[in-house]
Amino acid sequence: MTQSRFLRSARIAAAGLAMGVLVLTGCSATASKPAAGAENASAFLTIPREDMGTFIQNFNPFAPAVNPMVQQSIYESLLIFNPAKGDTVPWLATEWTSAADGKSVTFTLREGVKWSDGKPFVADDVAYTFELQKKIKGGFDYLEAVTAEGTNKVTFTFNKPWSPALYDVGQLTILPKHIWSALADPEKDANAKPVGTGPYTEVDNFQAQSFVLKKNPNYWQPEKQKIAGIKMLAFAGNDGANLAAANGDVDWAPQYIPNIEKTFISKDKEHRQYWFPATGSMINWQLNTTKAPFTDTAVRKALSMAVDRDQVTKIGMGGYAKPADCTGLSGNYETWKNPALKDNCTWTKRNVDEANKLLDQAGYPKGADGKRTLKDGKPFEFKISVGATSSDWLSVANVISQNLADVGVTAKVDSPDWAAVVAGYETGDFDSGIVWSANDPSPHKYFNTSMGTATVKPVGTKTFDNYHRFGDPKADALLAQFAAEADAGKQKDIAYKLQEEYNDVAPLVPLFSGPEWGAFNDTRFTGWPTEDNPYATLSVRAPTTVLVLTTLEPRK
Amino acid sequence: MRFILRRLGFYLIAFWASITLNFLLPRFMPGDPVSRMFARSTGRMQPEQIEALRKLLGVDDRPIWEQYVDYLHSIVTGQMGVSISRFPTPVTEVIASQIGWTLLLGGTALVIAAVVGNLLGILAAWRRGGAIDSALPPVLVFIGSFPYFWLAMGALYLFGVVLGWFPLRHAFTDGLEPGFTWEFISDAAAHLVLPALTIVLVSIGGWMLGMRNTMIATNAEDYITMAEAKGLRPGRIMFRYAARNAMLPSVTSFGMGLGFVVGGALLTEVVFAYPGVGYQLLNAVQGLDYPLMQGLFLTITAAVLLANFLVDILYVRLDPRVRSN
Repeated sequence: MTQSRFLRSARIAAAGLAMGVLVLTGCSATASKPAAGAENASAFLTIPREDMGTFIQNFNPFAPAVNPMVQQSIYESLLIFNPAKGDTVPWLATEWTSAADGKSVTFTLREGVKWSDGKPFVADDVAYTFELQKKIKGGFDYLEAVTAEGTNKVTFTFNKPWSPALYDVGQLTILPKHIWSALADPEKDANAKPVGTGPYTEVDNFQAQSFVLKKNPNYWQPEKQKIAGIKMLAFAGNDGANLAAANGDVDWAPQYIPNIEKTFISKDKEHRQYWFPATGSMINWQLNTTKAPFTDTAVRKALSMAVDRDQVTKIGMGGYAKPADCTGLSGNYETWKNPALKDNCTWTKRNVDEANKLLDQAGYPKGADGKRTLKDGKPFEFKISVGATSSDWLSVANVISQNLADVGVTAKVDSPDWAAVVAGYETGDFDSGIVWSANDPSPHKYFNTSMGTATVKPVGTKTFDNYHRFGDPKADALLAQFAAEADAGKQKDIAYKLQEEYNDVAPLVPLFSGPEWGAFNDTRFTGWPTEDNPYATLSVRAPTTVLVLTTLEPRK
Repeated sequence: MRFILRRLGFYLIAFWASITLNFLLPRFMPGDPVSRMFARSTGRMQPEQIEALRKLLGVDDRPIWEQYVDYLHSIVTGQMGVSISRFPTPVTEVIASQIGWTLLLGGTALVIAAVVGNLLGILAAWRRGGAIDSALPPVLVFIGSFPYFWLAMGALYLFGVVLGWFPLRHAFTDGLEPGFTWEFISDAAAHLVLPALTIVLVSIGGWMLGMRNTMIATNAEDYITMAEAKGLRPGRIMFRYAARNAMLPSVTSFGMGLGFVVGGALLTEVVFAYPGVGYQLLNAVQGLDYPLMQGLFLTITAAVLLANFLVDILYVRLDPRVRSN
């Protein structure tokens, strides 16, 4: 680093002022350590966290704002689903079998796994974790019992046939019973020195602005701990994190970077890459189906047909997102898609003439001024609500609004604070909005929350998933069949039928598969996942993150 | 003494009014912390977990007056509860771990801006129409009218990225252990220069102009002419006779500024990734983290009132007119 004489004198002048802060922050006077050397072998994998201005030493996985890496590098799960490839990697469990009636699943645990304090990982830990999870955070309503058989087998029993459970229970991170059962208030403990089975568990040099996780001394695959540790940096927004990435100060850049070719890649083409697989959740334009005219399937399809998804993804999402098709499924479910349907979509492709025809037929006439009216003669007008801070989704809404003008429909973009927008969604007091959707390894949840009657609540009652309040009894029957089916092949057939039903009723207007942001700089570490080698995504908050942490190695 | 007691009574009422506002305002905002958290997680949180989370975080549906009584009680006893957005960390811990850096940054910038700004104002008024008086005010006003965010980003880019003179982020080099060592202190100082400098740049114009204008009025007073007629040294007249009397508004501003330092320089902390409470406050407001919001507001309110009280006492010494009132 170049340091001018000016800087040195400024340091001396400001040094006196800095004395005071040490007293205020309560730092003890300890000898300072030398910074990490330039050698890659001893370097820490440096990752920015863009939405935490400061860190708090709290590694409790039950905390609503979990510190980074708690569920990726400290604690591990039984299996890992990789959406980029559509495969499942056995992790703390080596295999699992579902019962023929679909009402239970048994996991065989890996031999020789130890907690970072040296105690063995046993079946009791798994059973205890679920007990604790249900008690503190709720959920898992279908789970009747978790029984440990011996030290290496665990059986999960359900109160109904429930195949989506496999990934639900399989991807929950497991905690050590011997530590957590000794705590008086497990949900309120800061867990400052976590004990886990993950590759990097040892918290070091914890500061509000950064912290380090060092190697777990008892990791079960020590040959894969090739990096010395992970260093997390705190940023109060994307700008700071992007500056760090552009400047080459971080190895991994999982945050959204605008105009990435120019701002990031062009600075060092040899070492920098990005990859935005379409494995995020489907982003939908959802219409409040308790309100006319959105109750009419023809209207929903016609409005969807008016939308130019290429323009939406290009202008709104910088060309990084992939337009949706009429299966409604995001890129996360590529292997589940019904090919017969996918290639013959009608209402998710722009067709202004067809949209106009549909609206005319449905009884929404176009007036002399080119504007359509509703059946009661009022103008065909409504609002699209989007939170003011999401500039990308705001431009998506603006594009839609312009597209709709072509069919004589007036859509006004309404952008108050997200809190107000979401409060409207929850109580059903909105016209339409741009909303994310459930993203699970199995498509059950997506269809259940987009058209299952079980998730529909009356207007005025708060709901947290089916904001558009659409329920279809036909879909219910298929969903029940899907959940009861343990055979993967037959499950796929049912999923195909669900997509056909979705195509018929158009519960939502799917827009595009959300991209999973991710970029890296391989100057110091190699072995990153890429489009050609999609063993994980480049997300740092996904279950697949641990796969990256155990694959990377220092450049020699 | 009676004056001070009367002021104290006034401050107590102001304190009560502001903590009541602190209590009411967040509760007028739509939604509650848990559904806010759910919405922000955009699909990563399960709807079934909402009830359990509500119970866990102690988000209650009790009547508002009952919550209010509890709130007053917690303030009197100093128990600020547990932060919701940073659950399960106690509010006091969240604030304590970061407020030091905020005070250092805000305090340094305030002191430098006030001292330098006032000195420049004194000099400018003393030599009216001179070089300082004609050149500096327009320049400083020009800089001060920039959007701060833009100015800070520009300074960071120029002095940090392009010239490489100053570090790009944080309060000290990551990996360094804080301690009373020369290495650490000089490192922290180097990290302080750029963020403090940008705050000084935008605020110094106000100090200078304020001081200059009161000084000009004071300079026209008879006692200045008298002092000059007596043949006193110009330096003595400038500081003891003119500046001392012209300083009163500046003292008030300084007191106000001191109180607001606690609130943090939000934008500075965001741009320079400086670990302070400013961003924490924004986060608390957005996440409807009542306990943390209340803790921070309480700290700010207390600091503002305390600073004002100190200024009041100082005024008793500086301005005899206050005493006779």
